[in-house]
Order: sequence, then structure tokens, then C-alpha cells
Amino acid sequence: MQVERKMLHRHLVNRMRGQIRMKTVTIKQILYLSFLAAVVALLPAKSYAELPVPAHITPPPGEHESPIVPQPIEFPHDRHVQDMKINCMYCHTYARRSKVAGIPPTSKCMGCHKVIATDKARIQKLTEYWEKGESPRWKKVHDVPDYVHFSHEKHIRKFVFDADFPVQDVQQVCGVCHGEVRGMTVAEKKEPLNMGFCRRCHEANGGPGDCWKCHK
Amino acid sequence: MAVRVTVGNVINKLCESLNNINGESMSNVKVNRRKFLKMLGWGGAGTALAGCDMPTTVTLEEGKEEVVSYLMPEEYVIPGIGVWYASTCTQCEAGCGLHGRVREGRVLKLEGNPDSPINHGNTCLMGQAGVQAHYNPDRITSPMMRKGGSLQNVSWEDAMAELNKRVGSASGLKGEKFGMVTGTVSGHQSVIIDELMSSVGSKNHYVTEVINTSVWSAVCRDMLGDELPKLNFDKAGVVLSFGADFMGTWTTPVHYMGEYAKFRKGKRGALIQIEPKMTLTGANADLWLAANPGTEGALALGVANFILDRGWNLVDVPSGVRKALEQYNLSAVEKVTGIDADKIKRIASMLTERAPALVIAGTSTENHENGYDSVASVMLLNLIMGSVGETIEANSRFPEKSMRAKQGSSKDLLLLAKDLKAKKLDVLFTCNTNPSYSAPAVLQLDEGLSNVGFKVAFSMFPDETTVQADLVLPIFSGMEDWGTHVAAYSAGEPVLSLQQPLMEPLYKETRGFGDLMLSVLKMRGKDFDKFADYYGYIQTAVVNMPASVVGSVSGDHTDMWTNILQTGVIKAKGEKGSLTPKLVEMKYKPKQENAGYPMHLVPSTNLGLWDGRHANLPWLQEAPDQISKVVWGSWAELHPKKASELGLKNGDFVRVTSASGSVEAQVYVHKGIHPDAVAVPVGQGHSEYGRYAKNRGVNPMKILNPLMERRTGELATHATRVTVSSAHQHGKLAQMGGSEVQMGRKFVRTVSADSLRRTEGEV
Repeated sequence: MQVERKMLHRHLVNRMRGQIRMKTVTIKQILYLSFLAAVVALLPAKSYAELPVPAHITPPPGEHESPIVPQPIEFPHDRHVQDMKINCMYCHTYARRSKVAGIPPTSKCMGCHKVIATDKARIQKLTEYWEKGESPRWKKVHDVPDYVHFSHEKHIRKFVFDADFPVQDVQQVCGVCHGEVRGMTVAEKKEPLNMGFCRRCHEANGGPGDCWKCHK
Repeated sequence: MAVRVTVGNVINKLCESLNNINGESMSNVKVNRRKFLKMLGWGGAGTALAGCDMPTTVTLEEGKEEVVSYLMPEEYVIPGIGVWYASTCTQCEAGCGLHGRVREGRVLKLEGNPDSPINHGNTCLMGQAGVQAHYNPDRITSPMMRKGGSLQNVSWEDAMAELNKRVGSASGLKGEKFGMVTGTVSGHQSVIIDELMSSVGSKNHYVTEVINTSVWSAVCRDMLGDELPKLNFDKAGVVLSFGADFMGTWTTPVHYMGEYAKFRKGKRGALIQIEPKMTLTGANADLWLAANPGTEGALALGVANFILDRGWNLVDVPSGVRKALEQYNLSAVEKVTGIDADKIKRIASMLTERAPALVIAGTSTENHENGYDSVASVMLLNLIMGSVGETIEANSRFPEKSMRAKQGSSKDLLLLAKDLKAKKLDVLFTCNTNPSYSAPAVLQLDEGLSNVGFKVAFSMFPDETTVQADLVLPIFSGMEDWGTHVAAYSAGEPVLSLQQPLMEPLYKETRGFGDLMLSVLKMRGKDFDKFADYYGYIQTAVVNMPASVVGSVSGDHTDMWTNILQTGVIKAKGEKGSLTPKLVEMKYKPKQENAGYPMHLVPSTNLGLWDGRHANLPWLQEAPDQISKVVWGSWAELHPKKASELGLKNGDFVRVTSASGSVEAQVYVHKGIHPDAVAVPVGQGHSEYGRYAKNRGVNPMKILNPLMERRTGELATHATRVTVSSAHQHGKLAQMGGSEVQMGRKFVRTVSADSLRRTEGEV
């Protein structure tokens, strides 16, 4: 259901921006859309509103569906992001400094979880890793091939710092590529993150078009 | 009738076949050339767009690849951003300083250390390929012991127990029965090897290098009083080099390349190169000449005689010498060397007009039976042209004598073969060196090795020597180990260059060379117990060195060590001697008899595979030879005149036969070689040494005759005579670049030598 809701959201956003021209709208379609809207509205649903797309970003159209990747610890993004209101860049601290966003070091997790929620099975598993002096071996969910030079730092600089976008809302920017992480437990890939997706975004948002910018 | 295949033809054919299909079933639209190309264009664009939206599951292993965070990150470490650490290159003996880029705990890229006075921030291709030695898939990852004839993996406990049994203090091993073979060593490695040798009471440390400057060093020592004097290319107006490939394999190529650049800048010095086969240096020369191999000394004496005749010399020679030189008149020298009298005059006038001159001699002049005399003749030119003190200066030596480089020589290789044959050795250590590959077949080194009761190889790779060992101890790569290095050629500013690990060892079951040496010393009952490992040893030793070495580093011991780790080089206070020129007795006699072998064999070397140690690095196999552009194999270089005389063309297989054996290789025809010489490169022809090197090409060292340079006892690698005969087979030579000419495209604009000489006012 969440998927449909998001697609609709994207569709509406795109429509507002004139990305999709509605040539013929049949009564059937209008009925379907209003039905869908009603369903969405009636969902028992999470207690938060849609993640808005920042006004200065035109998100590229694209869809991606992939199975949920099982991780060594079922990390609840929703709990941290939505309930605890922790900023993405608090844990993924390298995103604004480096090409990779970075998986938070285990010491960072333990900074809080030495005392918080120590009775939970997941935290006990984490503590086990910590005491053995190991980090969990996470599976990669978001990745680009080695011949693609993608830099988180450049994107965060352009869309957050240079755009004077409030840093506390950074998840709206992250969400353009990473989807609505606050609704997920472990990370899921929600956008195709292939060259077509990158190119459409670069065209819509004035990113560089030279081959060598990404293929160094 | 021959059919010419062109792109146009192919397109027309395709159109035809498309029309046939259309004609049969589809439509009456005829496809012509223009329409076809149009279709192809749209089709291409379509394919590209579809490719853009290819799901990433095609290119990535999503959900399978692991990503592991730091447990506790260092403050300065940011994933995705490299940190540069200083270290020292171990790819050859020049001792260049390195900076290694380390990201997420892995070394990714090497560059030169700008603080090093040897390479000033530059590296050569061999240095760049250092990472491939480190990440090489053929590294030995476990200790091995010979059991029932074959090498089998064993634990370190078992390996060390065996070592202790054979060489420990209880083993009774003492005296000259113990030998150790290494390449050039310096710094603390040299100190610790000396400790080991003295603990056993043996002097049999064989320091072998096939690419060396032993004869040059001997002459410099005898005639100037300094083994490796400082050569000031930048002060020279003209450099006359007799076979010294100083940009390729002579002494310290990266340093000399920098000096050469200075020499060419500004007033632009002229370079004259005399050698039987064009090297990288020769290809850069303004005048390149091939004297009859082995007669380079006669040419030098001829030039000297002409200069003295004209009174162009700046320094006089004793009348006895003057008289002896008279026999080297133009016509006599022309006859012996095959170089025109005009050219000899021209060399003499260039040396005079463009003074200060620098005259040097390298590999192809040194490595003849008369090599010493030839180099001494070359040095005579420096004396009479007043170069000593100007372009040749006394070098500064590293103050700690025990840490200076022990320079390898081929004399030690001959000595090793001799001692092995005489069954003088019971226990032999070999370390990162491959005498079994380098030794000519007639020396029967392998048979000699089988006479040794217990052979221990400290090695990274299963090379020809290592596979014959009884105990193989896998060692760290240059990027995992600790060490200190003192370059043999100090470039006027002696430094201690620190080698520090750029990353954690890749394989758990490998050990540092220094660590293993310390273990052996402890087995011998030496008091090294206070050092847990080689790191501890080096750290303690370095910070406690006298002020002449570490005086330039500030801080207490801890700060000092941190500073040294950061800069990678310690600038020591050198001991500068002075040059005392004197003449040596020369019994110069060019050797020309051939006894049925009309050709001269040139076992050429290049900056790349070096002496064969880099044949297992695919980047260096892939890097074309600078002259022939051949990749991944051997070739036999012949002069066009000789090739047509023998009816051979590029790619034909030939058999090169000496009195000691023969090799087969494909012909590469090139003007940059003496018509009576055939050059076969050293480096290939490994029977072992991993997947990239094994069974590829041929090794010319194997067919060398056991001839020695008469005064120094070095192996005369360039003295072997051969015959070349067709092997009646042809194949395409694996060569980059299809043509030696520009096909009139004017990529590089040229003027004729005559008009250039006119513009430079030489005529």
C-alpha cells in the first residue's frame, strides 16, 4: 500500500511541475484516483504526513522494486528517524564530507546503546559484536558500480548547504534517492539509481552533463 | 582476384542482404546505404538509452556484497577520502621515497615522496606497479616444507621448529657452511644480516644483482677515489654516454630522469649515446651511434687522442699516456670501432664546444671482458676535459657505515655458483632474489642448489629459486613491512628512507623479513629479546642514532619518531670526500674473434621487467617496451640490413644460438641496433613465478657463455657471441603501434639534421 501511496505522491508532484501532461483524463481515471486517495486517507497508517520533496529539487521519475535484504541486525530506521527524530547525518556522518555516506561505526551505536534499550534482543546482539571487537557485516543495499564516481558530499553541498535548506529537514533531500527511510526498518532500495535516473535528475536540476564528471 | 574488404563494402553487402529479406516478405522499401546508416544511428541511440535504464542488478551484486563499518574510527579517517603515508619503494635498489594513498585500510595508489632527494616526488612505472606485487594473486600465503619431494603447507610452529633444528644454536651450524643470498641491501636489514652472518661465523653473504654498476664503480674507485661520484647532469653542456641507460636501468633512473630534464632545460645540453642497441636513453639522444660491441673503449681513446692532438684538452696528461694514445689515430679507431672518422671528430668538437662535458659508461660498455679498461678509457675523457670537480663531484656518504648499501654484483652470482658446485654450503638462505633465473645455464646453479642440505627461501612468490627450497617462509610485501633504506647513490644528500607498512598484512600466514631475521638471531642465542618485533627494533635503533643521522629531526624520542613516520626521510649529515683523479694502467685490447659465432648477443634490459623480477606484474607485462613496443613476450631485435641478409622480416621466428645454448624468439627489425648484434630482452622466460610470468617468452641469460670481465670478475653479459638462423615459422608480433612512421600525418614535426646544424651555427 505504501508503494502505491508514494507513486501517487510522485505522480502528483510531477504533475504539479508540469512533468506529465495529462492529455486525456477519463472519468474512470478520476474515479480511480479519488478511490485511491480515499483508501490512502483511510489507512490505519503511520502517524506522519507525506515526506515533502524540497521545492528546489525536481526529482527524476523512476521506480524500483527489490526484495528486502536481510541484515545481521534488523536495524529499525523508523524508530530512529521518525520516533527519535535523529538526523540522517548524525549517524551517516561522512555524507557531507566524503563520497560515501558511511555506515556508522559500532562505537557510535554503543554511544547510546550502552544505556538505552539494553533489554532489547537487537541491542543485545549489537553489544555482543561490540564486546567481541567486531562490526556487523551489513549487506550493501544502495550502491553504484565502481566505474561511477558518485559523491554524497557534492550533492549535500548543492542541495542543502548552498541552497540554505534547513539541515534538520535533510531527510527530504536524502529521500530523493533513498526513498522514505523513516518508514523502513532495514534500508530498502526504492529508486533505480541507474544511469537513466542520474541523467534525468542532472537534466532537471542543472547537474553536469559531461561523461567524465561521473566516469572518471 | 583479391577482394578488398572496406567498411564501405561491408555496408553495401549488408544493404543487399536487407533488401533480399525485404524483397521476400516485408515491404517494397529498398534499403540503400544512406537509409541503412540512418537506421544504424537511431538504433545506436536507442540502445544507449535502454542501457541507461538497465537495472543495477545487472552491474551490481546488490544485497550480497558486504559493507563493514569501522569499530572505532580514527579521528582523521573519513571513508572515501584517502590518507597518504610515507614509505620507501622496494621495486628496485634506487630507494625512492613513496607516498601511498590508503583508503578504508587498503593501499590504492603510490606516488613519489617530494621530500626524497632521490626521486623528488616522482616514480617510474615499476614503482607505480608496486601495488600489483602487493595484491598479486600468486603470493605465497602459508609456510611450506619439503615432504617426500614436494612442498607442502605447514604451520608456522612447525616451520620455525624445523628452522631451529637446522640453524639454531643447538644445531652445531658454524662457519662457512652457511650462506645467504640477497639482492642489494642497506639500512637495518643490512645490519641485521651482518649480525646473523657474524653469529654463524660465515662471510658467505652473496649480494647478487644482474643489473649493476660494478665495473663503473670499480673504475670510479680506482681513478677518482669515490665508488659512486655525484654526476651533475644539470651543470653539463654535453653528456657523452657509452651505454649508460641512465633513464632506464642504470644506477638510479628516476633521479637521473629529473637531472636529465634540468640538463635539457635552459641552454639545452646535447646528449650523445654510444651503444650496440638503442635504449630509452639512446632514443632521447641527439646523436646515437653503435660502435662495434666491445670496442667502445677504443672509441673513447680515439676521441681523447683527437682532442689532445688539437690541444682542446683542459687538463694535460703525462707524456707516457700521450704517447700510448697515439696509436688511437682516426683511421685506426675507425677501423676497429666501425665509427666514421667524421663522427669521431664531431664527438670531439661537441665535447669541446659545449663543455663542461660529462662522460659516463654503463651496462653495454661495462659488461665485456675488457669492460674495466673501456670504462677507464671513458673516464680518461672526463679527466682531460676537466669534468672532475665540475660535472663529476665527490658524493656525500651516509655517516653510519654499517647501514650503507651493499651493492649487488654479478660477481657474487658467479661466486655462488662456484661455491654451490664445490658443495661448500650446507645451509643456504635466499631472500627476495632469484639466482636460479639469472644464472647462465652453463653455471649449473640448479644442480649446485641440490647439493645444499637445507635451503630456506624468504620469499613472496613461487619463483625458480623458491620452488627448489626445502623450507619456504612467506614474507610481507613492501607495503606491509618495516624497513630502513640507504640508497647506494645518495644524490649528494644522504638520507635514511623509512619503509613503513601502508596497510595491514593481506594474509595472516605471512611474516616480516626483519621479524624472521630477529627470530633466527634469537635461535642463535643472540641477545635480541628486548625487541618483540622488527618494528620495535627499528624504532629503538632509529631514535637512538647519533646526531649525524637524526640531528635534523626535532623533538624527544616520541615526537622524533612521529616526525620520521610523517616525512619518511631523515636527512643525514653526509661525509663528503674529495676526488683524487689518477690514471690506472690500461691494457686495452678490443676482442673481435668470433670462432664461428658472427653475431654479438645483447641481453637488453628495460625500465619495466628490470632483471625479470617484475615479469609477474601484469601492468609491466602490458606496458610496451620503450623501443620495440612489444608486450607480453620476447623478441629478437635485428638491424634491417642483417634481417634482409638473412631473409627475415618482422614476426619471423629465429633461433639465437651460442656455444652454451639457444633460444627462439620473433624478429623485430629496427635501425637502432648494430648490424652485427642481436638483442634479446632479459625478463621473460620464467619456468615458474606465477600465472603472469610462467612459460612466457625466453631468457637470454640462460645462453650466456661463462665469460668474466677480466679485472673485476663480473659476468661479461654482453660478450657472448651467437649465430642467428631462421626457425622457419612466422607469427604476428604482439606489438603496440602498427607503424614506425607517421604516414605523413605530421604529429611530430621534424627538420633535417643538416638544416638544424645550420640554424645552431655548427656548420
